[in-house]
Amino acid sequence: MESGNIPVLTVVEDTIPLAYEKAIREVWKNGISIRTEYDRPEDPPSKDATVMIAVREPFGQPRFHRSFADGLGGLAEYVQEVVHGAHDYWVKPVEEIIKAVESQDTRWTYTYHGRLFEYMIEGKIVNQIDYIIDKLSQSGHTRRAQAITWNPKLDPPTEDPPCLQRVWGRLCEDGQGGFIFNMNTHWRSRDLFKAWFENVIAITTLMRKIAEGIAEKSGKKVRLGRYVDISDSLHIYGSYFREIEGDPEKGIQSFFEMLDGRSFEERTWGSDFVKPFFIDDGIGKGLKKMLEREKDMPEDVRKYIEDELRKIEDDDYVV
Amino acid sequence: MTIFEKIADEVQKGNSESVEALVNEALSQEISADMIMYAGLVEGMNIVSEKFKNNECFIPEVLVSAKAMTVGLGILKPLLAEKNVKPLGRAVIGTIQGDLHDIGKNIAGMLLQGAGFEIIDLGADVHVDRFVESAKTENADLVGMSALLTTTMVNMKTVIDGLKEAGIRESVKVIIGGAPVTQAYADQIGADGYAADAATGVDVAKKLLDK
Repeated sequence: MESGNIPVLTVVEDTIPLAYEKAIREVWKNGISIRTEYDRPEDPPSKDATVMIAVREPFGQPRFHRSFADGLGGLAEYVQEVVHGAHDYWVKPVEEIIKAVESQDTRWTYTYHGRLFEYMIEGKIVNQIDYIIDKLSQSGHTRRAQAITWNPKLDPPTEDPPCLQRVWGRLCEDGQGGFIFNMNTHWRSRDLFKAWFENVIAITTLMRKIAEGIAEKSGKKVRLGRYVDISDSLHIYGSYFREIEGDPEKGIQSFFEMLDGRSFEERTWGSDFVKPFFIDDGIGKGLKKMLEREKDMPEDVRKYIEDELRKIEDDDYVV
Repeated sequence: MTIFEKIADEVQKGNSESVEALVNEALSQEISADMIMYAGLVEGMNIVSEKFKNNECFIPEVLVSAKAMTVGLGILKPLLAEKNVKPLGRAVIGTIQGDLHDIGKNIAGMLLQGAGFEIIDLGADVHVDRFVESAKTENADLVGMSALLTTTMVNMKTVIDGLKEAGIRESVKVIIGGAPVTQAYADQIGADGYAADAATGVDVAKKLLDK
């Protein structure tokens, strides 16, 4: 019986794939049935809950679940979009964004990288990730090291405003003269079944980049601590129910049957398996292909991605 | 296990290196390139496609298998061209103008290729004129269009109108798909087929071309 209160669920697991599976099971079983703006009239209401997910070891292995809505090469490109701004040049100008649904320009209204690294306010650009690195390098126990994405002028009228709202971090001493970087992210809304996993792979890569920045600035060793992910609305869209429930009459098994029918190793991949696909997935995606394909990518961004590619190829890097 | 079964099995597992070795082994046994393609590579991808349709494998696994198949096809392509082996059909595919999303289109393309179609992938944000132009110059049997946005799916009708104006509408079948697209919309704009997902797209394409 649903009471009209949105359920509040908590998931705590060691690795990303474990947390991902547990969250899907929890929201499916305990989520409220409710409609969203994206439902089509024929879709059943989505399953939805407010959920906090903690991952104790964000780079714990195996790090990759096999269930997400893209290939490994596409995921590699998305990570670059979030961490290095690979697709900031796909964002339309402000004068088009403020036209909201009247705009004929179909380019994007934001990227997470754009909002976190180049937040525009009062005609100025603020690099909020640099601020987090600076603030925590000076004072690791501060509670003010955060970055926001929401723009109250630009976002409310658009059809697809940012889901990620805030990134917050804090350092704890590790007892050996170094620090442990803890990071929380807050999301307004989140597609659990087809976006959460890719979001988290990208955002934990950003987490590592921030930790590296703090280490460089402070001259101290900084290890990654737990990652906490809080969504006001973590949902499984009604349009996905066919995939989740399957169709026994047509011989289509449910998503949970698929999970239960395989060992955990058969449902996941380790970073070593994924690495060559991040470089080039052999079917048109991956960092090499991205650099070849996206001729209009700004030179400074291209250099970041070339550096990243070199690190991966040199084996000096866990994807 | 025959060499064809071995190739199909390694395609399913997504093991590119084994596929490469087995295809070369089959060629060294003087097995024809088209036999290796259809009985090995295509058969392997057909099984993957069927598993995908039945919720028995995940999307990234399909694409890992597609890579293995592509490696095998890369070896066979020059030989197939030499022997003038015809594909099941030639399909021009792309994401419609204004739309930068390409995941669904890529999966559909890989499954179509895996089923024996030749794919001319125009990429994402493809101008309507390019669809028409390519359908004409490539002598396509099929045009596949994908859209993820309600604002861009309207361009699909413009492509269909363009195919009519170019005088090739009767010789090419049009399939559309993507999150906001429905069978009703396909009917409304005069598309020949609607694919609710990438795996269904292969069935629809085969049916439309009587394959």
